[in-house]
Amino acid sequence: MSAVLRTEGIEVRYGETSVLRDVTVEVERGEAVSVIGPNGAGKTTLLKTIAGVLRPRHGRVVYDGVRLDGRPAHRVVRLGIAYVPAEKELFPQMTVLENLQLGAYVNPTATDEHLAFVFGLFPRLRERTGQLAGTMSGGEQQMLAIGRAMMAGPKVLMLDEPSTGLAPKLVAEMYEQLSRLKAAGLTILLAEQQVPLALALTDRTYVLENGAIRLAGPSRDLLGDPEIKRAYLGLA
Amino acid sequence: MIPILIDGVVQGLQLSLLAVGITLIYGLGGVLNLAHGQLAIVGGVATALLIGGGVNVVAACVLGVLGAGLFALVVDRSLLVPAYRAHGEERLLLGLVLTLGLSLLIDGYLNYQFPNTALTLRLPVPSVNLGGFRVRSASIGTSLIAILAFLVLLGFLRRTLVGKAVRSIIQNEVGAELCGIDATRTRTLILVLSGMLAGLAGVAQGLFSSLGTEMGVEFTILGLIVAVVGGVRSINGTLAAGVLLGIVNAFASYYVGTYLAFIILLLAAMITILVRPSGLLAYWT
Amino acid sequence: MSARRSRAPLASLGAVALVLALLPLATGGSAHYLRLLTLMLAHMAYAVAFNLIFGHTKQLFLCLGALAGGSAYVSVVLARELHLSPWLTMPAGILVAGALGALFSYVSVRRGLGTIFVGIVTLAFSLIFQNVILGLRDLTNGETGIVTRDLGASVLQRAPSSYYAFLLLLVGALLLYDALMRSRLGAAFRALSDDELTAELAGIDVARCKVVAAGVGSALVGAVGALYAYYSGLINPSVYSLVAVDIAVLITLLLGGLGTRLGPVLGGAAFAIIEELVRPFGQLNVLVYGALLIVLFVAFRDGLVAVPGRAAAALLALRRAGG
Repeated sequence: MSAVLRTEGIEVRYGETSVLRDVTVEVERGEAVSVIGPNGAGKTTLLKTIAGVLRPRHGRVVYDGVRLDGRPAHRVVRLGIAYVPAEKELFPQMTVLENLQLGAYVNPTATDEHLAFVFGLFPRLRERTGQLAGTMSGGEQQMLAIGRAMMAGPKVLMLDEPSTGLAPKLVAEMYEQLSRLKAAGLTILLAEQQVPLALALTDRTYVLENGAIRLAGPSRDLLGDPEIKRAYLGLA
Repeated sequence: MIPILIDGVVQGLQLSLLAVGITLIYGLGGVLNLAHGQLAIVGGVATALLIGGGVNVVAACVLGVLGAGLFALVVDRSLLVPAYRAHGEERLLLGLVLTLGLSLLIDGYLNYQFPNTALTLRLPVPSVNLGGFRVRSASIGTSLIAILAFLVLLGFLRRTLVGKAVRSIIQNEVGAELCGIDATRTRTLILVLSGMLAGLAGVAQGLFSSLGTEMGVEFTILGLIVAVVGGVRSINGTLAAGVLLGIVNAFASYYVGTYLAFIILLLAAMITILVRPSGLLAYWT
Repeated sequence: MSARRSRAPLASLGAVALVLALLPLATGGSAHYLRLLTLMLAHMAYAVAFNLIFGHTKQLFLCLGALAGGSAYVSVVLARELHLSPWLTMPAGILVAGALGALFSYVSVRRGLGTIFVGIVTLAFSLIFQNVILGLRDLTNGETGIVTRDLGASVLQRAPSSYYAFLLLLVGALLLYDALMRSRLGAAFRALSDDELTAELAGIDVARCKVVAAGVGSALVGAVGALYAYYSGLINPSVYSLVAVDIAVLITLLLGGLGTRLGPVLGGAAFAIIEELVRPFGQLNVLVYGALLIVLFVAFRDGLVAVPGRAAAALLALRRAGG
């Protein structure tokens, strides 16, 4: 069991309805893992549960030997797991710089160092430090969201459908930065609608459908799987 | 004309000081504190008692303000728990009724312990000459207190990381939590801050004129309307609204007498709220 | 079939009216207790009104005292200045109160103001009322108040006719409440209570519901306030203060159960008992009310009416667990 991040048979409910049933997902240190599946499959729920935004009814979430489930989100960040939600959840009336500074809240002394790193990743942010986050375009906001998450100096980065609403060029740019981060040793867990990109970046993939894991395996193999091809890649 | 303007500004600053505590709490979690005025009285009463007990005036003021803050802390950890557990409309209603009950608790106790007492904290120098106009040193004192409080508050919110964390929770609580900010603890901090500001307003009122234990309700309502007129989430707005309403009140008092002026003030505020519910300045800066 | 159904609530109303009508006999001639009971009836009537305004349409009017007082002062001042009989001037007061309440509601709904804003605006109005009375000293005698004993309406000043006058008002209020709840408006109220947005989407004119509820409720509040002015023999601003009216009514309705039919009656009875118990504490009664408000709102919002139901449910659960 060398997986650093693991959910063990978790069940998550919204009210009385089970949205995730007996889901076990593992991510090893330095791995990039993607979770794909149709809308409503539970991908966001899975990420939110790991991040501490939601609590599982049954099962455990373990990171580096420490139990995560039941901890509030602000504690999970401190343990080294950063989450970039689909809605980005930026601070609209604060500047790019302030958003980034707050990202480093768990470790304020490292702010300058991490700021340099993030600007290196996304130079466009450096040009817009004084701009209010709410006035930025979708692509810029996505970069800011990822940048803010990285300001916490995390060991694990979770992203929920980061390509949504972005122009293809920006998406390519973003994925290039993600692979740079992966090369630098960051562990990545990614939920994506744009399956080819996810499969290209990651080592392993889980297919989530209707709240349960339907398929799991190396991303390369799934690329060749006929069912996946038909369902997610639009190929006959 | 000018003395009235000065008087208006001085009164206005006090109104702003009274109201800013409400702006803080409401912006942070949708709890409207109907006991705010009572917290101001608590601060003033504590200070007066300490001075009466022989404590140095400045120390007494500081302790009175801290005492109000401590009281707010206790309230946050006990009374407001059910409100924080709820969401949206339910939280608003709970907050309103719980703090309403609290205001009665405080009022009832204070009026029982100190019936019909008017507390005045006297300053040694009655009045000073300021550019040709005689101004009461108490007016200068309370204005300085209010201005200083606002500067410190704004500085805290704009410049410090914790202050920015506070603003972030107001703008996006989920986002803040994902940055590692503990919303609950920050909320408590703001409540304590608000309590201290209320206490400060009470002390200032005691310095400026007199403080009666029955003034709680009036203070709360004044604070509420200034906060709302200024835009319930904007501190700059609160400052502007307070000063504006203070000036309106001063001029109205001069021409039509205190009661009518007060009514005009309240009506003006009510109309502003109805015409522009988001207030004069809609967002925090 | 429908005739029988509509008779049941009428029967319970009749029973309540009968019990209340016989109560004065239990006081054994004590003027003090009769006075308490009369006040109790006034609170019950206020609570019926607040049930409409807040219980069913969620409009947090914190200006009931001002509405009641406004009606009272309009009626008294007109009677005094124009030498008219109170029975002629009371409708004027009631109209003013009803119109003001409807106006607040209308503007709030039009501007989309939420609970907080309505609360703040009505609180401000309470303060305005107090200051208007104090400011128009020539007309109203300011803090000292106006003696109403020699203005007429002697029915209201003698016991026990005053008691029965209030009882008549209360029964009228309850009948009006029943009629409203049975009408289409009542169905709309029930839909509103659950979810305003859904009700709106279902085609219910939420605005009209709220304004009617507020107008009728406020008029009722005005009626109680006006009657009370002549009953008590003297009116001054503190008679219609926040604590005297708004807080008392809020607690009454919480005790009896928000939005329930007989909640105002049960709550009024409970509150009257509490008032008596708290009397020796003097000024501390405000403290007790505050504590009561908090406890009730957090734990017992369904009121006393729900207690038997809750106790029964708890007992059933216990028995099931044991067997």
